[in-house]
Amino acid sequence: MITITEFIQKLEEEFDDIEQNSLTPSTNYRSIENWGSMHALIIIALVDTEFDVSLSGADLKNTQTIQDLYDLVVSKK
Amino acid sequence: MSNFLDLKGKTYLVTGASGGIGTAVSKLISEYGANVILTGRNEATLTELHRALNSNSSIIVADLDEDSDIEKLVANIGQIDGIVHCAGIVKPMPIKFINRKNLEKVLNSNFYSAVLLTSSLLKKKKLNPESSMVYISSISSKFPYLGGGLYVSSKAALEAFAKTLALEHSNLLRANIISPGLVKTKIFEDTEQATGEEEMKAYEEKYLLGFGETEDIANTCAFLLSSRSKWITGENIIMDGGLTIGSKK
Repeated sequence: MITITEFIQKLEEEFDDIEQNSLTPSTNYRSIENWGSMHALIIIALVDTEFDVSLSGADLKNTQTIQDLYDLVVSKK
Repeated sequence: MSNFLDLKGKTYLVTGASGGIGTAVSKLISEYGANVILTGRNEATLTELHRALNSNSSIIVADLDEDSDIEKLVANIGQIDGIVHCAGIVKPMPIKFINRKNLEKVLNSNFYSAVLLTSSLLKKKKLNPESSMVYISSISSKFPYLGGGLYVSSKAALEAFAKTLALEHSNLLRANIISPGLVKTKIFEDTEQATGEEEMKAYEEKYLLGFGETEDIANTCAFLLSSRSKWITGENIIMDGGLTIGSKK
């Protein structure tokens, strides 16, 4: 499993409308500018295709920060 | 006057019978007197449904993603008067994440299964004359949503197939499609959890008649299976509570 720093880099690569190095583990990802359902879909798809981990809507609902998200993926890996 | 819909003595195969729409369809057509062959992957749910049905029903557990299961299913059933194909999966996937693996998974479940099952039923001559085939699609094939690249495309393909079937075998069967909007099923609950209750409530305002119930779809299925719809084939019935006719706002 990749480190959280690498995880953040991947998220920044996939979110087209975000500046590099703007996210940290404590960032509440829903507070990202212009956050919308497409971002949630990208997170689910990224985790699915890169780590073969399926996240449900309910899983996402229980996370706030990028650290929460990373921990969730690690726990399901 | 006799009952408007009478399916007594008829036998129908319902795929995806353990899902929300499949369950509602099975229950309703059973009430109208049909024999129902329930198929799906979840044996426990199928067994529970089997117990709840009034008329004769049977269970054949099958994973329609597998050719061998389709073959076994068709070999194990007798003559039938049609199918209601509800089997399918939803897999939201932004286009840039689509790869062969997830594309094949969705096409397998939503499209190949319907094509191969239908083909096998024809080849093995399992369909009685005047059969009725109903394929559950989605309004999204005409009204796509973000992340729907896999699902929407698979449903569009399913619709095109059903129309070709209607054309090619008009002497034997009628084939129709139902394209529902958002119906309250487990998929609905998952979507609600992903997007949040507030967002779903805002979305529901676009539906003039609110979100659908599985029974709404079942009613149309029963009608399409029955001889009351004997002059309808190759049709795509949109059931979306008014979503696509326009917005009041």
